[in-house]
Amino acid sequence: MKHNLPNPAAVQSWPDLSVVQRWFQSVVTHPDGVEAGVESPEASELVPLTRGELEVMITRSKRVSARDRIAIYANAYYARLLECIGESYPVLKQTLGEEAFNGLAFGYLQHYPSRSYTLGHLGDRFADYLNETRPDKTDDGGADGERAPAWPDFLIDLAKLEWTIALVYDGPGIEETPTLSAEQIGSITADTWPQIGLRTVPCLHLLKLNFPLNIYYTEVRKATDGAIPPLPAAKESYIAVTRRDYIVRRHDLSPLQYLLLQALQNGATLDDAIANAAANNELSEEALVVALTQSFSDWTRMKFFETVVYPEFMG
Amino acid sequence: MPETARLGLPNLGLGLGLRSVHFSHILEHWPEVDWFEVISENFMDSQGRPRRIVEQIAERYPVVMHGVSLSIGSTDPLNFDYLRKLKSLAESIAPKWVSDHICWTGVAAKNTHDLLPIPFTEETLQHVIERVHVVQDYMERPLVLENPSSYVEFQGSTMGEAEFISRLADETGCGLLLDVNNVYVSSFNHDLDPAEFIRAVPHDRIVQFHLAGHTNYTTHLIDTHDGHVIDPVWELYHLAHQLTGGVSTLLEWDASIPPFPELHEEVLKAKHFMKKHLPAARSTESTSMAADMGEESSPHPLHYVSAEVE
Repeated sequence: MKHNLPNPAAVQSWPDLSVVQRWFQSVVTHPDGVEAGVESPEASELVPLTRGELEVMITRSKRVSARDRIAIYANAYYARLLECIGESYPVLKQTLGEEAFNGLAFGYLQHYPSRSYTLGHLGDRFADYLNETRPDKTDDGGADGERAPAWPDFLIDLAKLEWTIALVYDGPGIEETPTLSAEQIGSITADTWPQIGLRTVPCLHLLKLNFPLNIYYTEVRKATDGAIPPLPAAKESYIAVTRRDYIVRRHDLSPLQYLLLQALQNGATLDDAIANAAANNELSEEALVVALTQSFSDWTRMKFFETVVYPEFMG
Repeated sequence: MPETARLGLPNLGLGLGLRSVHFSHILEHWPEVDWFEVISENFMDSQGRPRRIVEQIAERYPVVMHGVSLSIGSTDPLNFDYLRKLKSLAESIAPKWVSDHICWTGVAAKNTHDLLPIPFTEETLQHVIERVHVVQDYMERPLVLENPSSYVEFQGSTMGEAEFISRLADETGCGLLLDVNNVYVSSFNHDLDPAEFIRAVPHDRIVQFHLAGHTNYTTHLIDTHDGHVIDPVWELYHLAHQLTGGVSTLLEWDASIPPFPELHEEVLKAKHFMKKHLPAARSTESTSMAADMGEESSPHPLHYVSAEVE
């Protein structure tokens, strides 16, 4: 079989495979391109070359230089991963526009390069990254607590919502397992009721956000022309993200509902969860009973609970 | 369908790559497709709809698992967490075989999610042989390995790709997935004769072919999987078919994926063509059209499964 003939001088001094691979990776993943990659400290430490000496490692073809050949890998690296992050955050990308989104994602990939065999984890720290690099960050490293929620908060919240949706879509679900029915809740005796807990289903995620993003998310997804709806004014919002029949479902929650579900998810008894939620809102006792009755009825229909947790099993 | 012994594996006919954009169509219509190739990484961690769908499809069609993250050529340690999940998926959907690529995807614990080229040296060969043995022992089945498209050659290479692949197959007993389009792309990029490559690899080890489209940039080709198979690739396929006696063949389409009916039409056309022309030779004059020389497309070995949200 004919192949391009080995280069005796190169073969003689050819580095170990591990060196070749670390060198190649550092060149093709360098954010400033092949030339900067070749002369970067990381690559130079492994294979000391100037940008004009790439042919020491890579052959040229009849039509393409060594530089342009390795650049195919370098160009593809960011292009491919930016596309994948964009698919994880479609609404955020549409909101920001492709150029601004890719700018942020480009920084993210340098800060948090993929360390997983699956692209499913590629975007898992994007919201953290947006928070860590927010332009209004204070000197002590945190966002200014006094400041009203602003544009960076909107983007971070949107990233959180989209990542939660991705997690719920492919995470554990309840399609093949029973959930708690209204009848089962109704059969709990009155004396046991205050002491029990309700285990939420594994796909139920609760979000507290600075903006009413649930409606915004729906509007962006529905827009067929790529138009962006007006950005909503800051207002705390609460969303339950869950999955039924393999489709991700989003439900707006009131502050009372959020506190109650959060407490139950953390293992509180119903008694404590309700007391905690009630203490944090201004409903009359009568209105509270009505609200709770309706909520539990909705939540069992929406399959929010897996089982009753009886007192002997409470943490 | 006659069975051709390639590691004792059957000729499944003409298959399609399972892509998430086609999930609903397939579940609704159960189209006439001989078999599906599924990207292992898109399903191995899934506890949601993708996993459910691949299980449903595996109940109705023969399936083959095709991975992109084994990184058999990497000098990083093998990832046994990955292998455990790969094996678990295989136990769940009973693929006819499990394949990946002769490449590496990253080192220093990073993953570039690309199919990166290896220098064809004795050191690399021994390294890959050892790892294939370990993986085959762990998986309790032979691996089937594919020749990737490549865009560079290393100065330190001491043998050609076909020799490397042949010796790898001999030493490990692994099967080969001959990507005919990749042979064409790599040979063009390295000024080599693709037919020579196809003649040189061990034909009795080939259990599967890939066919795909690529993008022609005049000076080089990029394996974009975004279009029709061009005639020179069909010619090479014809040669490979003659030399192997015919093996399972998969039409890949990973970027600008058309709606399922259109893709299915392409498969039926290919099937018709194969029935009519194979093993007889096919004369052809057309070649790939040069692409728009604007922004260059990326090699596209992977894709992300997007969530379905109400």
